[in-house]
Amino acid sequence: MSNFLSYTLQSVPWGCTFALVAVGLVLTYRATGVFNFGFGAEAYAAGVIYTELFDHGVNRVWAAVIVVCVVAPVFGAVLEAGLFSRIPVGNTTAKMVTALGVMVVLPSIVQLFPGTGNLQAPFAPFFAPVIPIFQVGSFFINGIELTTVLATMVTLLLLMALLYSKRFGLPMRAAVESPKLLELTGVNSRSVLRSSWMVATMLAGLAGVLFAPVETPVTPTNYSIILVAAIAAAAVGALRSLPLAVVGGVALGMVQGVVQGYIPQTSVWYSALVPSLPFFCLLVLLLVHPGMRTLDQSSDPMMAVEPPPPTPALAQRPPHINRLIHRFRWILAATFALIVITFSPGPWIAALTIGGAYSVIFLSITLITGLAGQLSLAQAAFAGIGAATTAQLTINQHVPALVAAVAGAIVAGGGGWVASLPALRLRGLPVTLLTLCLALLADNLLFPTSWIGGGANGLTVPRPHIFGIDFSDVDSKSFLLLVLAVVLAVSGVVHVLLRGTTGRALAAVHASPVGAASSGVAVRRLTMFVFFLSAAIAGIGGALFAMSFLQESPSDFSWFWGPTFLVIVVTVGATTVEGAIEAGFGYALIAQALTYLPSTGSSSSNAVQSAVTVLVLSFGAFTYASHPEGIVEAAKRGIATTVLRAVPANPFERVGRKNS
Amino acid sequence: MSVLELTDVHAGYGPYKALTGVTLSVQSGDAVALLGSNGVGKSTLVRVASGLVPTSQGQVCVLGRDIRGESVHALARRGVVHLPEGVGLFGDLSIEENLLLRLRRVPAPTRRRRLAEALEALGPLGSRRRTKARLLSGGQQRLVAVTGALAAQPTLLLADEPALGLSPAAADEVYAALERVRSTDTTLIIVETRLGRVENLCDRAVVLSSGRVAYDGPTSGAQDVLTGLIQRQPE
Amino acid sequence: MSTLLDVRDVSKSFGGNAVVNHVSLSVEDGSSLGLVGSNGAGKTTLFRLIAGELAVDSGDILFQGRTLPPRADDRARIGIARTFQIVELFGGQTVLDHLLVALQAHQRRQGPWRDLVHGGRTTPEERAACMEILSVVGLDDRAQAPASTLPLGERRAVELARALVCGPRLLLADEPSSGLDGGETAQLISIINRVRRETGLAIVVVDHDLATVEALADHVVAMDAGSVIAHGTFAEVTTNVDVMRSWLGVTP
Repeated sequence: MSNFLSYTLQSVPWGCTFALVAVGLVLTYRATGVFNFGFGAEAYAAGVIYTELFDHGVNRVWAAVIVVCVVAPVFGAVLEAGLFSRIPVGNTTAKMVTALGVMVVLPSIVQLFPGTGNLQAPFAPFFAPVIPIFQVGSFFINGIELTTVLATMVTLLLLMALLYSKRFGLPMRAAVESPKLLELTGVNSRSVLRSSWMVATMLAGLAGVLFAPVETPVTPTNYSIILVAAIAAAAVGALRSLPLAVVGGVALGMVQGVVQGYIPQTSVWYSALVPSLPFFCLLVLLLVHPGMRTLDQSSDPMMAVEPPPPTPALAQRPPHINRLIHRFRWILAATFALIVITFSPGPWIAALTIGGAYSVIFLSITLITGLAGQLSLAQAAFAGIGAATTAQLTINQHVPALVAAVAGAIVAGGGGWVASLPALRLRGLPVTLLTLCLALLADNLLFPTSWIGGGANGLTVPRPHIFGIDFSDVDSKSFLLLVLAVVLAVSGVVHVLLRGTTGRALAAVHASPVGAASSGVAVRRLTMFVFFLSAAIAGIGGALFAMSFLQESPSDFSWFWGPTFLVIVVTVGATTVEGAIEAGFGYALIAQALTYLPSTGSSSSNAVQSAVTVLVLSFGAFTYASHPEGIVEAAKRGIATTVLRAVPANPFERVGRKNS
Repeated sequence: MSVLELTDVHAGYGPYKALTGVTLSVQSGDAVALLGSNGVGKSTLVRVASGLVPTSQGQVCVLGRDIRGESVHALARRGVVHLPEGVGLFGDLSIEENLLLRLRRVPAPTRRRRLAEALEALGPLGSRRRTKARLLSGGQQRLVAVTGALAAQPTLLLADEPALGLSPAAADEVYAALERVRSTDTTLIIVETRLGRVENLCDRAVVLSSGRVAYDGPTSGAQDVLTGLIQRQPE
Repeated sequence: MSTLLDVRDVSKSFGGNAVVNHVSLSVEDGSSLGLVGSNGAGKTTLFRLIAGELAVDSGDILFQGRTLPPRADDRARIGIARTFQIVELFGGQTVLDHLLVALQAHQRRQGPWRDLVHGGRTTPEERAACMEILSVVGLDDRAQAPASTLPLGERRAVELARALVCGPRLLLADEPSSGLDGGETAQLISIINRVRRETGLAIVVVDHDLATVEALADHVVAMDAGSVIAHGTFAEVTTNVDVMRSWLGVTP
């Protein structure tokens, strides 16, 4: 019994870390209407600045004060002014995409600075570092922990007072619902929203400073893990209640402490179950908590006053040019592909192959996001499942590689189908959180298991062997052709669905679920199908990806790639097949081009390269509100319109022949 | 004194122009009914007056001052209260909190008194002051919104179809609440599609037709103009 | 005439609050029923129960003598169509697309199977069927316009056309005149009555406008606080003491 008590109490400070971040999430959500996926990234940036300040000789307390009271609020104001104030209140998808953009982009920016790869944080701003402050028997609490506990308590009380005060809290809560209506009551809603953002980022800054000494070195991964655990804590109060978020955080910490205490450290369960405990909790809460089902369901009563959304840029091609393109596109594309394949040097062939694999994975995002309007963060995980299945079947069962890839797609599709079952009752944010949960569970439970994902070192994946052709060279041109054929087939399927009855029906479901159901659209069947097919396509993409490296390694499909892939596809264009293909090849080719940059050969320069690649292709998340078709796509259409306007109309055009 | 002065106002949303040259003058203490079919620019006119929709041409003066460049909240602080079409309440806030938002700029002792008065005016609803607004029925919500707007003691009250979607009984209640304004010196502009509702309340009627003023005069003369406009519509 | 819709002793409560309380009513084939009552009387909730957007707590709803399937889309396909108090259109889709979605769903010619095996293009027959309905509601010149850009009167007409395109047996019209002016209301009423004459469609209509209810409904049922308080002809119900007090706000 005393063991139990000590396990429980010992983990209260750890739980308080969850609680603090959870409180920050809840406050941001209630005061700004944005579920801030970027909270972990903001905390990470704050942790880095805190550490850097300390390394440059600033006193611990002052460093914390500068980060929390100066840097964080300024950053919050910048976020509000630059990004979130431009999103119409009702556009929840744009809010989520923008927050995901912050989540992906901010750590990449931080990593561009030299020396941020391996930072050892100083101790917490207050109290002596690791010496026990209180000690009762085997139970003790040190300076870092005491700071966290006190900070959580003080923050909770201050925020409760703030949120329920008539002077500040009332306008804050009203501004989330309708800034326009609040303006009509004589309140400057812009400044209210900006203050809310400043308070919210201050919380991120505080969490960042306090968390830095707990898990050193300061890395984005550590921070994003605590973010996800905090989502589970915040879900206890349905993302709305501050006290319940704290209770949830502390409880989560305690449960983790108890589980950690009783399960022997050598057991397989220890490494798998303990870290994934918060994700299980979140999964259960998403499925059973009635409050989570009604998220995002309030709508701005003043929507009618908003100016109509900008119409997406359209390339209005003159009919004769349209017909020319229509007639010759296959010949042109094939010629272009042949020239590229014939004359590209080896490394670029490999890069193109990887680009093809990425394209297939990205097409799965086109299907689920562009077509069904759901933001899925699990596409990388589905790709991983496809890759792992292919690897296991080829190595252990000696199944031909292509057959194994199809089996992998079906297994991944099964995963997507499972994900669709709860998604039938949920919409918007809960679905996104659910897919995040699934990705994390795959990351923690499936991929490290030797008979599934092959553990840390992964598995070797052979390439197919058909018609006596050997595809096994790293820069095999015939393998590239095979990959291109798969890209072509998959994009054909996605294109037909986008333009056909399925696309029209799903757009209807997305715009008005009740309206679509009342028109007889089989919402359930279509949703399940899209989730299945999307995951299956991701599975094929994952198998191709693993084949192009001849290796399946779980880190290629780690959960963080889910949001990254999504943001990249949204940037280039999530509503067209071309968008996904351009994003896939673009991503691989930019990465390849960056290898020509002077390299120091250290691991940090690799990190910088990958950060730059992500940065180049993810800024479009911030323009999603005005260009949901993708910023690259919008630019393309704009250029096409300008160029085509300069082309004179064809004088030989026969009048009366309409191309329908 | 002139409360609202519109001179050759053009306004709209993007390429769509809802108002094409409206000139209108409303004096203090007037009760004006703004009538006309859907899509003639009635709502746009009151949105222009409260600063929600910017003008593309022409001048709008509220209480003798040009509102160009003035923000919506600044205009609201000058005593312009706009009850928008639809609910006009914050669904996640309680009845009391919704009323308090309207009284934010009133000094504390007066605020308490006016809050108590407003809650009393709500009758049985007043005792459910902690109930969230979204849990009330449509008629009850509109009643709370109107009561809140009146508690602010506006100089100019712009009510956009206050009885839309309400049962006849609830609509009567809302109009009875608006009736109380007539005893104060608040200037009233009500957007309505049905003349019958505002005949008793308003002494002056303005009929709009395709973005322009088609009639401006006593309420009793509006019916003929409205009938004429409907008959001229192409079927 | 046979009974088309039979609502038997249906109840529904939200959080202990009985919104629909032991309501029974029936609609004959081809007849029309007006449903009136104050805001929050449970009329829209009753519609949602009939359409399958909500599940009943107790009681039965029979359609053509059979128990209804549980889900809204299945009910739509067997002939229960619905329009909404606040129009529920498909965003920026064109008017024609709205009708195609409903028509293809009704004919079960929608989804991946059709797209991948039979090609996803709209057939001339489908287009013609939609255009025919559009000309009935007077929107044939707006087929290619994005529905979100139309004025409210035409958006209500799009909703009506979308409901009619599958040839329903029963139309649930929730406040069709709400937000419309006199001219637009008259037009909508004449369209509905013409369709009823030509197809024998039965309707249940909720509205607060006395003239609209009188013009559309043969029988009227009045509700208050979740229960039926009166039923009969328009004249009988509007002179009922309880109805006058709760709905019309007149003290007799």
